[in-house]
Amino acid sequence: MIEVKNLVRTFKSGDRTIKPVNDVSFELEQGTLASIVGKSGSGKSTLLSLLGALDKPTSGDVLVDGVSLAGMPDGQLTRYRRRDIGFVFQQFNLIPNLSAVDNVMLPMEFAGIRKAARAERARQLLEQVQLGPEKHVRRINRLSGGEQQRVAIARALANEPKLILADEPTGNLDEQTGEHIIELLSALSRDYNTTILVVTHDRALANKTDRRFRLQQGRLTEETARNRAAASLPG
Amino acid sequence: MSVLARSVGNAFRNRVRTAAVVAVLAVAIGLALSMLVANQAVTGKVAELNASVGTVLTVNPAGGQGFEGGGEPLTAAQAATAAKVPNVSSVVGTKALRLRNAAAAAAEAAASQTGQAGPGGQGGPGLPGGQSATSVTTSLRAAIDAGTLGNRNQSSGTTGGTGSTSQSAPAFSLPVTATGIGAEVDSSGKALQLTQGTGLGNYTASSAGALLGITLAEKNNLKVGSTFTIGDKTFTVKGLFDAGTAFGNNALYLTLPTAQSLAALPGELSSMIVTVNSMENVDAAKTALQTALGTDKADVSQGQRNLQTAVSSLDSVKNISFIAFAAALATAGLIILLIMVMLVRERRREIGVLKAIGAPNRTIGLQFVLEALVLVALGSAVGAAVASFASGGIASALISSNSTTAAATGRRGGPGGFPGGFPGGFPEGNPLGGANQLLTSVTASASPGVIAAGIAAVFGVAIIGALVPALLTARIRPIEVLRGE
Repeated sequence: MIEVKNLVRTFKSGDRTIKPVNDVSFELEQGTLASIVGKSGSGKSTLLSLLGALDKPTSGDVLVDGVSLAGMPDGQLTRYRRRDIGFVFQQFNLIPNLSAVDNVMLPMEFAGIRKAARAERARQLLEQVQLGPEKHVRRINRLSGGEQQRVAIARALANEPKLILADEPTGNLDEQTGEHIIELLSALSRDYNTTILVVTHDRALANKTDRRFRLQQGRLTEETARNRAAASLPG
Repeated sequence: MSVLARSVGNAFRNRVRTAAVVAVLAVAIGLALSMLVANQAVTGKVAELNASVGTVLTVNPAGGQGFEGGGEPLTAAQAATAAKVPNVSSVVGTKALRLRNAAAAAAEAAASQTGQAGPGGQGGPGLPGGQSATSVTTSLRAAIDAGTLGNRNQSSGTTGGTGSTSQSAPAFSLPVTATGIGAEVDSSGKALQLTQGTGLGNYTASSAGALLGITLAEKNNLKVGSTFTIGDKTFTVKGLFDAGTAFGNNALYLTLPTAQSLAALPGELSSMIVTVNSMENVDAAKTALQTALGTDKADVSQGQRNLQTAVSSLDSVKNISFIAFAAALATAGLIILLIMVMLVRERRREIGVLKAIGAPNRTIGLQFVLEALVLVALGSAVGAAVASFASGGIASALISSNSTTAAATGRRGGPGGFPGGFPGGFPEGNPLGGANQLLTSVTASASPGVIAAGIAAVFGVAIIGALVPALLTARIRPIEVLRGE
């Protein structure tokens, strides 16, 4: 379970103080697929980076299964990112000179998993995100945008994290591919019981998530909840 | 994929750039290795020179040298005095004889009796230096023809000579130098290089054995075991030596007591070869020796002063090559530093992603260090090949430029060893003649040990150079990745 308590992040810009995240509080049950919508510059990415321990809040706290991130030293935050968090970026952010399977193996390598075991799991994950075996050993720059995002999702799942943070995961994809990706995320959150928080501009995409939040001038409000459609992973 | 495999892959990400970096590194590393090879070669040579010829002093009678000048001969008692001087490790006495071929001497004597002005009257009363008693006859014929220089020198050495050879004078035949020695060394203190046979055993006892120069033996059809005569005594050739020069090989060596006996001057010495325990003590020992023997009794000269100049020249080559090695090494390190800083800046986003997915700083830093080492390994391989071809030429260029400077210095003020008192002159009499020969005999070969040591140094510097950018990676915050989204 993810608990966010009175989270505040401020920046200085000249004489002004900007608050992209202003007293944000919410809770997400394990296995929830949630979305945050908001205009550009509303603080969506800042909130995501605070949840992912990429940035430190000015005040407030994030608790993952009751463990507070506040005051956690950098080494432990790295471990938290490695074990408990998976990132999916709009630009995919894969390592371009590595193959798809090598990219998926990276987080497992950092977690100290043996080579044979991580190769096996990487291939399983790539199959689950519907990337054909013939593409597993292809270099990233020889895959399409949709395929690259599938690899990025497989990489995010590599260490079976509690929380996957997806920043505009369909922003660089066409509508149809974007829909496939969101269906995939939905199925994964249920099958792996992983909490997935998606930041998006796309209201149609947000409508497919269990819970929808709106971030406006740093303040978060929940719009509504829906009953999840039955979706399942292939195989 | 391991960190190492990823580093190797990253090193070849941009092949054109990798080739350029490796080429630049290869030049720097090749230069560093060449300088190291040159440095090692010169260091070895300096040690060799110091050990062999740099610590020898020569003592001659005051006012006399070779067969020239005057003064009182040296004695065994003076040799004993010299041996007690601090830092003197050995004293070897010599007794020089001039051997005239018996037939040639008879012909010249006959010509002299008919009233012709003889060319010097070797062995006669007109001999300069008052050392006529040390000239004896032999069955040997000199291996060198007198030629223009020999006849001119002989003519100018005659009391009544005019400086030009008289048309009626018979052809002059060069004498053979016989030197009695107290140890198996030549007249300059260097160990004799025997090419055949054995030495004379105990050089402080009389012996009927002799060591002949190879050209003298060839001229007289002598081999090891052959016999010849000096005066009325028969000697057996015990060994042949190669002095390395035509002049040096027209000589023979006897034991010291034998030479003294032939000259009928027991206990008398022509010169003493004094070896000092180290090159640093040569000047102090020279002064002490001069004081102990007296300036009116003996002249002490550093016959190898020119070699000291040569050694100092080699020392400067050694220093230059070491500085150049260090500079080239630092350049290689700087190249690595700059390249890796550039790569880190270029891959900031990637580093941020790696951190976002949980890579520890040390793993990312190690990846960059290994990538740098891959580039250095490639540069070292090419650089070692460059060094193996270039080190000889670079060492020669360094040595020749420095020996030219040293030669100029030597000609200006070097004492110059033996001043050419003997007809034809000693080769050592030419300032830096022998030294230049020694300088140019430095051979720089890229031995695997030196190359390995150089490459180890390159890797050490490369690790230092790569650590700075590797540490820079630790300062990159992953938040920058998301901000760029």
